[in-house]
Amino acid sequence: MSRSALKGLPSDSKALLHTVGLVKMYQADGVSVEAVRGVDIDVGIGEFVAIMGPSGSGKSTLLHVLGGLEKASRGEIWLRGQRVDKLSTAAWALLRRRHVGFMFQFFNLLSNMTVADNVELPALLAGASPKQARKRREELLAELGLSDKASAAPARLSGGEQQRVALARALANEPSLLLADEPTGNLDSSNTRDVLRLLQRTHASGQAILLVTHDARVASMADRVINLFDGMVADDAPMLRIPRPVPSVRDVLELHG
Amino acid sequence: MRGTLRWTRADLRARRGQALLTIAVVAGVVAALVLSTMLLEGAVNPWKGLFARTRGADLVVYLSNAPGKETSELGTLRYVRTLDAYPAAPATLEQARGSVKSPVQLTAMPLTLPSISTPLVVSGTWLRKSAASGVVVEASFAAATHLRVGSLLKVENLDGTAQVGLTVIGIADTTDQGFYPQWTPGLIWAQAPVITKIEPKGGAQEEVVDFRLTSPTIAPTVIVDEIDNLYNFSPDSGNGLVVQRFYTPQQVENSMASNDRLIGLLLGLFGVIALVAAPCAIANVTAGRVLMQRQDIAMLKALGFTPGQVVRMLLAEQTGLGIAGALCGVVLARVMTSPEFVRPPDGTSVGLGTLPGSWVALIAVGTVATVAIATAIPAWWAGLVSPVAAVQASPPRGHLSRIARLGLLVHLPAALVLGARDSLTRRLPALLTVFGLAIPMVMITIALSCWSTIDGFSQDPARIGLVSALTVTPGSYTGSVPQLIRNVGTAYASSEYDTTLPSGSGTFTALAIGSSSGPRRFPFQVVSGQPYSRRGEAVAGQGFLDLMHLSVGGYTQVQIGSLLITVHITGRILDPDNNGDVLAFGQDTLQDQGVSPVPGYSVILKRGESPAAAQAELLRLSNNDLDVTLVPNPASSLGIVRVVVAVSVVILAVIGLASLLTATAIGLRDHRHETGVLAAMGLTPRQVMATLVVNTTILTFIGVSSGTVVGLVLAPRLINLQGQASGLGSGIAVGLSVVTVISVLFVALGIATAAALGMARRTMLMSDPAAQLRSPARPGPNIITTR
Amino acid sequence: MRQHLLALLAKESAHGYELKSALEQIFGEAYPSPNIGQIYVTLKRLEQDGLVRSEDVEQANRPNKKVYELTQAGREALRAWVEEPGEGPRVRDEFFVKLILAPMAGLAGRLELINLQRRHYLGIMRNLAGLQAAADRAAAAGREDVPARLLIEGAILHLQADLDWLERCQEELL
Repeated sequence: MSRSALKGLPSDSKALLHTVGLVKMYQADGVSVEAVRGVDIDVGIGEFVAIMGPSGSGKSTLLHVLGGLEKASRGEIWLRGQRVDKLSTAAWALLRRRHVGFMFQFFNLLSNMTVADNVELPALLAGASPKQARKRREELLAELGLSDKASAAPARLSGGEQQRVALARALANEPSLLLADEPTGNLDSSNTRDVLRLLQRTHASGQAILLVTHDARVASMADRVINLFDGMVADDAPMLRIPRPVPSVRDVLELHG
Repeated sequence: MRGTLRWTRADLRARRGQALLTIAVVAGVVAALVLSTMLLEGAVNPWKGLFARTRGADLVVYLSNAPGKETSELGTLRYVRTLDAYPAAPATLEQARGSVKSPVQLTAMPLTLPSISTPLVVSGTWLRKSAASGVVVEASFAAATHLRVGSLLKVENLDGTAQVGLTVIGIADTTDQGFYPQWTPGLIWAQAPVITKIEPKGGAQEEVVDFRLTSPTIAPTVIVDEIDNLYNFSPDSGNGLVVQRFYTPQQVENSMASNDRLIGLLLGLFGVIALVAAPCAIANVTAGRVLMQRQDIAMLKALGFTPGQVVRMLLAEQTGLGIAGALCGVVLARVMTSPEFVRPPDGTSVGLGTLPGSWVALIAVGTVATVAIATAIPAWWAGLVSPVAAVQASPPRGHLSRIARLGLLVHLPAALVLGARDSLTRRLPALLTVFGLAIPMVMITIALSCWSTIDGFSQDPARIGLVSALTVTPGSYTGSVPQLIRNVGTAYASSEYDTTLPSGSGTFTALAIGSSSGPRRFPFQVVSGQPYSRRGEAVAGQGFLDLMHLSVGGYTQVQIGSLLITVHITGRILDPDNNGDVLAFGQDTLQDQGVSPVPGYSVILKRGESPAAAQAELLRLSNNDLDVTLVPNPASSLGIVRVVVAVSVVILAVIGLASLLTATAIGLRDHRHETGVLAAMGLTPRQVMATLVVNTTILTFIGVSSGTVVGLVLAPRLINLQGQASGLGSGIAVGLSVVTVISVLFVALGIATAAALGMARRTMLMSDPAAQLRSPARPGPNIITTR
Repeated sequence: MRQHLLALLAKESAHGYELKSALEQIFGEAYPSPNIGQIYVTLKRLEQDGLVRSEDVEQANRPNKKVYELTQAGREALRAWVEEPGEGPRVRDEFFVKLILAPMAGLAGRLELINLQRRHYLGIMRNLAGLQAAADRAAAAGREDVPARLLIEGAILHLQADLDWLERCQEELL
């Protein structure tokens, strides 16, 4: 996947995504609940950041707010050097078309459209011609090994295949940032490996990724891991590179113990 | 824009069935509306259809004729394309019935039908050479004077100096003038020699000229002025042709309007029904779609569709379907009303003239607009759907859990309890189902009540005031008419007088019948108040009461002939014959005032005797000398309403079914999430399906029965309202019999349950409960359209 | 046992029986009841290694009791132990002990410890994932080694379980 030059980013900001004191509150049964309580995070251009944390820590909510699917209660969000937390729903929708790709755990694909239509839709939405959209779709599906499923209905695909198509769909417009909410949460081990491999490849070609996950394998592939606990950042550290001698089965036994 | 198109295309492809259903519903509604309007037009104002079919004249001018004057010069007038001129003679028709001789006009016509304003023969034949004294009578005049083919007339000229006996050989419609008796004189077409026999001498002859103008919009006064100029300034003028009177098509149209108001109102009722039911159904179906597509809509928003876009997309999609449906409906209406398919019932002048394009466009646009409005709320709701594709976040509130637990404790079938709980905890889909079924049921019930009311007209005519089935006049019979009548029933001496209100604002019929008291008193069926019991009392129809701004118990003075009569109105009767414009009293009331009633009899048949058989019997017994006429039953002309009822019921059933299928799909989709859990709990597959069926059946039952109940309550009120408004009088409504109600409920429930069962089976076959447990919230195949 | 005593002594000096009852109180049912004899032996060894020193304290009407306190060397040994993320089969037990004791010793916050351990685990996970990817490639190229693959997968699963447990600790103890 070739990565086109980032569109119009001011050269002095190195952070693609930057939040200051982000807060998100809910009303549940008449009581205010703070799901996200003052979160400051950064995602650099081309950086792969994973967010881990127990259930109820606010990970998904944080992701939704960062993607404009929900409105932040307080705080600042800067995307591509532009302040976006106060944008209207419609403005966010426009922003998402070109700059933010989304992947969810379930319901990633439109059920009444074929795989091909699903992958082409974002391009069409962003204003590409049907021909351009089709070309992009063919590229993506070939990369992900799904060309033969182009005219299938999503319901006929396995979970792993659906997530791969979802990834293709999320990347269709070459977004600045890919947001993924437990993309492997619903997959078995081998499917997780496939999607993980694809995510790595995507990252290797320069795509910035911010994903929420329970799966340590997925998180371990990130450049940085943020640990969210009770709506706040408990840890934010780059991945350790633990030097190991040439791995062998014995080493594995030792590791495992 | 392209994104919108792509999604819409895919969506329509995926939901072919629903889309087709929407189109069918809209097409049905539009066709029904167009048809109703056509019928309405035809019934309320037959003029249009008639004018088209008879190629009506653009102007009809009556010229006083001096012998020897040519009318051919008229053809040279500006703006006149062609014309036809006929000598005409005013005369009076003498009939045994009534004290007033009917004014008529005999027009000399050729044996071949003319090209301008062709009389439309509806019964019998046109003038023919073999019947020298055969005449064709205009239809409304014939109806008013109870003439039919074969009737004998005696026509006397104005001076009283000549008389001629004529036979009716045909009855025809024309738009040269309005209906009799609102418009006099009555028209009789005869061959030229007849005219000569009775035409008045000395300059009172007339010439009637039918004009075809170069343009129908030319002001008639222009032509009339030109005629005046032509003949008054003509060189040989002595007595010029003078325009006596002229009639424009507009005048005729206005006069022909509102001939039978009841039909008009009933058909109007159906128009309203269609306009109410259709948007409800469409809103219901669309709302259901939005419910089902909530996740897809959320995904669209995550992709970058703005809420406004989503709303517009749904609106456009539905409106597009609406437009397609409207076009289909227009075509359907065209096909249904083309002459190959439909002939107007014999004897009625209800025509199915083509509606002007603007009307059809109005109906189509109106329906599409209704579709758009009906979609607006669900579409706006879709715009509000949060882009966070929430799995069914909270389980349905279990208000019923305690009761459910109790039910299970008491060993009620698990399926029953769970099914009931299901339908009562998912409020919104349940409401949609109930309303989607209730509203069509209300309409169906009202429609069926109309049908049964009309049936009531024909089965029990006495109920709507048609107490007597025959009217008899002596004709040429010389014997005792009452004695003859006794063979078939009871005779009541009766005479009718057409009376104009003093203000000239209308006419009504005064009916002197039987005696005011005693055994000879006519047994009117009084719907409110009391029948009259002595001289000077009367009963009246709703139309008369409205006309005179009276109510039961009031007093009024009416002028009959040259006499002023005061009566006390004691009760109200139903009168379908004259739109309720009738005042009835005993003949002794008249005798009081010195008016001698004329021999004529109303006959109340013996039990079990059919009117047609009685008529034949009387004619046989009297050697055809007696003049026996059947009293027309409005049920015959209201037969059209039956057709409209049938069509409406079908459309409403389709609408109801569409709502039901949508609601069932939602219920099934919701239920699928639970089938796995239920199976794990230990319910057999059959029990699981039973839960589904119970769920749907409960809602269907509530919807259907509530709709029926509301309909049963509303229908008599609405129908009586129509009756009252038309002057016929309120009290005409016939409720549905218990058997009918139960059958309707049965059929409705049966169809609904069958549909639900069918869908449930299909879903069960397609989904695998174990799989549901593995991936609890995966969107499944779309139920309605997967084949 | 050594580290436990060092940690306890980091908080305050104590003698044998106090240490025993402290251990019982802090760890409760999760720990086998410490044997006083074992405690004294360990204390003696620690003294020999120079990590603690003892002092005799006079008591009225009782034999002298030995009060132990942490030496500088002992303090440093403790710090090294706390800051070294654990590995191996007993890591959970040891980590848990650290988690309980270290804050008392004022050596490290619980969150810090958890984060430290987690980062370490993630690093290991990355290596394991790399091993797995290599094994996959080998399998695709025809050099299938099922035992190795299974062992790697087992290691990954265990590691995931450990990380999940860390999260639970975080939830319960913070």
